[in-house]
Amino acid sequence: MKDIKLRIKSVESTMQITKAMELVASSKLRGAKLRAEQSRPYFNVLHQTLADIVASTQDFYSPYTAKREVKTRCYVVIAGDRGLAGGYNANLFKTAAAHMGDTPCVVLPVGKKAVEHYARRGTPMLTERFAEAAEVDVGDCFEMAGMLSRAFLAGEFDELFVVYTNFVSMLNQSPAVLPMLPLAAESDGPRRGLRLYEPGPQAVYDAIVPEYLAGLVWGAVCESVASELGARRTAMDSASKNAGEMIDQLSLRYNRARQGAITQEITEIVAGAES
Amino acid sequence: MSTFPLTIVTPDGLLFEGEAERLRVRTIEGDVCILARHIDYATALGMGEAAVTIDGKVRRAACMGGLLSVTGGRVSLVPTTFEWADQIDAPRAQRAKERAETLLANRAKMSDREFRLAEARLKRALVRLHVGQ
Repeated sequence: MKDIKLRIKSVESTMQITKAMELVASSKLRGAKLRAEQSRPYFNVLHQTLADIVASTQDFYSPYTAKREVKTRCYVVIAGDRGLAGGYNANLFKTAAAHMGDTPCVVLPVGKKAVEHYARRGTPMLTERFAEAAEVDVGDCFEMAGMLSRAFLAGEFDELFVVYTNFVSMLNQSPAVLPMLPLAAESDGPRRGLRLYEPGPQAVYDAIVPEYLAGLVWGAVCESVASELGARRTAMDSASKNAGEMIDQLSLRYNRARQGAITQEITEIVAGAES
Repeated sequence: MSTFPLTIVTPDGLLFEGEAERLRVRTIEGDVCILARHIDYATALGMGEAAVTIDGKVRRAACMGGLLSVTGGRVSLVPTTFEWADQIDAPRAQRAKERAETLLANRAKMSDREFRLAEARLKRALVRLHVGQ
């Protein structure tokens, strides 16, 4: 009986924690969701504009658009800062690993969990500076983009992807891999020829591509942070529910045991009085 | 005056979507003005004042970084920062300017990166103050 009582107590305190975490996650989620929704048009327009520009520019060479033989790939992996978010981190790493295959990779992890994961694997990392996904701001994204485009031009890697989690809805988040470099034209779009570049295609690309990378990374960070909170809220909600169920079951067992003990005591007293 | 569809988006959200008559922005090469039926066009933005003419009224804004593209008559302005003149926090920009100036005063102690950051901060503050007036 004492065991059961202790067990109930410990489950109760766990439930308090999961409930508190759920509340924290849902209040933060509101802000993060708003941020993700606000950044979405930027993300889409930027992507569309760049695709248009690339589609209409076939007549000059830029290192950003040229396809090279793939020796090394680079992945920007945006994961969470903490665990206890259901399958959020695990799903993301699974998607990343499936996409990486056997190609040699370098990663730029964002979020503490990503840094830990790739440090354990011994995957080479560009930097570990962005260990707090929730703290990353637009300026950080620009810094990352500058670093990535310099490394790309220097030939440190030949393809660049970003792995992040799409915030589909409160209950549904899906990990995704987005190719960023080299810039590829969407092949089905109509090819438009004449486009005016000022001061020139090369200069425009050099100025625009880091901006573009920064914009995409920023969008991906916003989506991922919202997803992490969403996943945590769902996970904590079901954990609280499970804890509640467990407490119900345990109390039932406890009351049965208590009743059993009382009945036994009465029987003993009655038997003693009769004799 | 004939109009063209204009979209302005920044990382902070969609700021404008609709018909405009005229768009003047500072690019890395200097000011350009876009009117309706412009040829397909792409350029990178510098730091400076932007002015959008909507229904004959001119709205000014501080516009920094990013890109401008015209595709099939649709104009997309995708800056890093875009603030309408009436939304600029002038005292804050003034404070930022003073802070950057004190930082820049002792150039010798700064790394190149810090210097660039402080310089960029000063430039942004100056643009904001200019537009906010």
